[in-house]
Amino acid sequence: MLAVCLLAPGFPPAAADPAGNWLEVLMQRLAQIPARSANFTEEKQVVALTRPLLSHGRLFYVRPKWLEKITDAPQPETLLVNGDRLSLTIGGGAPKILSLASVPAVAGLVDGVCATLAGDLPWLRRFYRIVAAGNMSHWRLELSPAGPPLTGLLRTVTIEGAGIDIKTIAVKQVNGDREVMTISPAQ
Amino acid sequence: MMRARKLALPAALLAAALVLALSFHCVTVRSDMAAFLPAGGTPAARLTLAQLRGGPAVSLILIGIEGAPAATLARISRVLAAALGRSGQFSLIENGQQALGGADLRFLFRHRYLLSPLTTPSAFTTRSLSADFERLLAGLASSAAPLVEQYGLPDPIGAFSDIARTWANGSNMREVDGTWFAPHRNRALLLVRTRAKGLDLVAEDRALTAIRGAFAAARPRPARLLLAGPAVFAHDAAHAIRRDVRMIAIVSTLLIVALLIWRFRSPLVIAAIAVPILLSISAALLATELVFGFVHGVALGFGMTVLGVTVDYPVLLIGHRKFGEPAAATWRRIGAAFMLTVATATLGLTGMLLSGVPGLSQLGLFAIVGVLAAAAATRWLLPPLIVLADLAPVSAGEPERLLRIERLRNRRLLGLLPIAAAGLYLLAVGRPHLEIDLANLSPVPPHARALGAALRAEMGVPDVSQIVLLQGADAEAVLQREEATLPVLARLRRNGVIGGAEVAARYLPSAATQRTRQAALPAADVLARRVARAEAGLGFRADAFSAFLAAVEASRRMAPVTLAGVKTPVLAARLQSLLFGGGDTWFGLVVPRGMTDPGRFAAAFRGMTNATYVDIGRETNAIAARSTARAGRWLAIGAAAALVVLALGLRGLGAVARVVAPIVAAGLVTVAVLTALGQHLSLIHLVSLQFVAGVGLDYALFFARRQLDAEERARTLRTLATCNVMTLLTFGLLAFCRTPLLRQMGETIAIGALAAMFFAFLFAGPLPNTSSCDRSS
Repeated sequence: MLAVCLLAPGFPPAAADPAGNWLEVLMQRLAQIPARSANFTEEKQVVALTRPLLSHGRLFYVRPKWLEKITDAPQPETLLVNGDRLSLTIGGGAPKILSLASVPAVAGLVDGVCATLAGDLPWLRRFYRIVAAGNMSHWRLELSPAGPPLTGLLRTVTIEGAGIDIKTIAVKQVNGDREVMTISPAQ
Repeated sequence: MMRARKLALPAALLAAALVLALSFHCVTVRSDMAAFLPAGGTPAARLTLAQLRGGPAVSLILIGIEGAPAATLARISRVLAAALGRSGQFSLIENGQQALGGADLRFLFRHRYLLSPLTTPSAFTTRSLSADFERLLAGLASSAAPLVEQYGLPDPIGAFSDIARTWANGSNMREVDGTWFAPHRNRALLLVRTRAKGLDLVAEDRALTAIRGAFAAARPRPARLLLAGPAVFAHDAAHAIRRDVRMIAIVSTLLIVALLIWRFRSPLVIAAIAVPILLSISAALLATELVFGFVHGVALGFGMTVLGVTVDYPVLLIGHRKFGEPAAATWRRIGAAFMLTVATATLGLTGMLLSGVPGLSQLGLFAIVGVLAAAAATRWLLPPLIVLADLAPVSAGEPERLLRIERLRNRRLLGLLPIAAAGLYLLAVGRPHLEIDLANLSPVPPHARALGAALRAEMGVPDVSQIVLLQGADAEAVLQREEATLPVLARLRRNGVIGGAEVAARYLPSAATQRTRQAALPAADVLARRVARAEAGLGFRADAFSAFLAAVEASRRMAPVTLAGVKTPVLAARLQSLLFGGGDTWFGLVVPRGMTDPGRFAAAFRGMTNATYVDIGRETNAIAARSTARAGRWLAIGAAAALVVLALGLRGLGAVARVVAPIVAAGLVTVAVLTALGQHLSLIHLVSLQFVAGVGLDYALFFARRQLDAEERARTLRTLATCNVMTLLTFGLLAFCRTPLLRQMGETIAIGALAAMFFAFLFAGPLPNTSSCDRSS
């Protein structure tokens, strides 16, 4: 934990500002936002490929667990999570509907993001160990899976933000894949 | 001394009950119809029937859950499946989650290039691979990237997903939260198979209890559990019959006790009647077990019915005893008629024994041994006990009233009217309706059968009633034959004759086909060069396809997959129900789904060598019809033998005619009434009529005894009336049952016993003014 703090230049160590304090305030403020929308750009580095894959699109969120990710380019795609149900439509194809329970890697990611956006700390702690750094105006949550099956799939999910705005979500997978999503407010 | 006299009968009753309990303990009761019917025509049909009746289809249980929101149903389905898995009683549990479990998927994945028809030389060309790689690239860019990495990179040609699709199709179920749902209604579905064989009713019962318990533990409110399948039907039928019989048994016992106490003024008479019955059932059980090695449930049930005639024996003895008379004196008066009754009844039953239909032979043996044992107990065991307990009717009745009743015989010609009417009616109808569909014999209520059919259709579990059977010297030969039928099935499907078909070769290709596929796989260095050329410029890392290259190389060297080599649960279960055999005779089933035109389906396979179209329903019914015909012939022979004995015993054709006429008349009238009620005659009616003939014989022979004084005639009339009312109160009351099988039995016996009493009184007894006893008195 000390190493994590040291490796994060620009962030004052959590000990300086009682971490629980601002984290709880942040969560309470996040919990007051019922819905949000944003634009994103994503850079994905897949182990099998030599160059990164870039894409951009829009994000919509409604408390507590409704999340829609619409990719506009380079390949149109809609990923919609509603509770335990996941629907994926690629291009003009038919939507593929799955239970989140059947794709644990995606489920873990969805829980990490949704619990944060919902400002629900107990929900988040059910799946992740949390290392919080920074302060209200510039914060970072490093989430590492609390147990299997997530431990076998995800290494870390790092969420950075300023106040109630989420800035980036970075995911490192156990197999070496990583992706960074940069989020900007909707125009 | 007095106490010892009173205690002798109850002690005998207790001993007889103990003997019966011990006998039940010693025998094995089986209840599969396969053991009741004779073997089918062709060896193929025989094996199919055995397989379908005792095989995997019998231990299948279909489960539906409905009556709650979809999310709740899905949760219950998951909890139920997990609990059933823990119980260890089920070899297969499918609810969509485990459709292909981890072990199954790994097996299919490892053998994907041998099992998938996509393995062709053209799939491994540079051009084809390059198109596949571009598809993978798009997949990696999508949110489905984790799946593409797991299954796409090691298998760019998509052989595995092709196999997985083949295994998944066959049902049009929806998925809700990863669990199966019916296509057009809010109902979660599960399919389980018990580890116990379908014949093991106790284990099947335990499995059903486990399912109901797991459902209750899943906090199901307000959802309902629906169950169907052969095991469920057997269980429900047994329960329905038990419920029906319990009610009737209570009513019937109370009425009979009242009747007997009124007639004989002693509760001991019930013990006197019970002793021979209990002993006769014991003897019948043990003899059947000794000869056949088991007792069939149907033979047991029907056998007890036929043995109902023996209830009359002790009543005949006690009813004819004068107060304080020694046993030998009573015997002198009724002995001859009694012995003739027993001999004739026994001979009448030999027809069944020799019928060659295993179930009927058992029934015949059971009934014959039972009748003889009851007669022996009545002849040798009962007289001293009765004398000890001093059992006899209160009074013989007033001769005045007897004469008034007997005067009815002066108008006996009027009795010909109902007989003539019955005969004419049957002639007009053509002949009685015969039940040919065995399904209608089943005690399963129609709504339960409809639920079973609905669940099966929703889950896409094929109905194994019309199939094509392919035969070969080994599994490989059968699989090759099946592969030849695949184009035929595809054509039938295009033409809408069938919706699809289950056939083992779709899942497991023959070894020959697998070797052809292996030959289509390029050598390692050739494939490596093609992969390198195909991925040029797409941005894949050099080792991105190393798993693919390794899998192709491994597939070139692996031994083809055989039936014995498939050990993972879901795959093995499905294959073993489609491909089975032993030694040098193997069979493969082609089981169509969504059949619209059986005629065209059958025609497509006509002329194909070693392929037989089997209509299971028709085949079973044909066997049943042949059995019934054969049984009918032997029953006639038995009846003829009985006639000969009658002729010898009665000395005179006139006397024989007087005894036989009432029985024939009762049968004729009963059949006519049943036909007029719209009933179709089946095995149940046959057995019930046999019973009616038995009691009719008692009545006729006792009425026909010669040289009797008025007092003895009055005793006979009252005794036979008691017998008749007892028959109505026991078997006749079954007519009020809801279970069709019991109701039909009750109706037949009630009508038949009344008619037999009526005609026996009218025709078998002497006319009042000409009878010898009047002259003697």
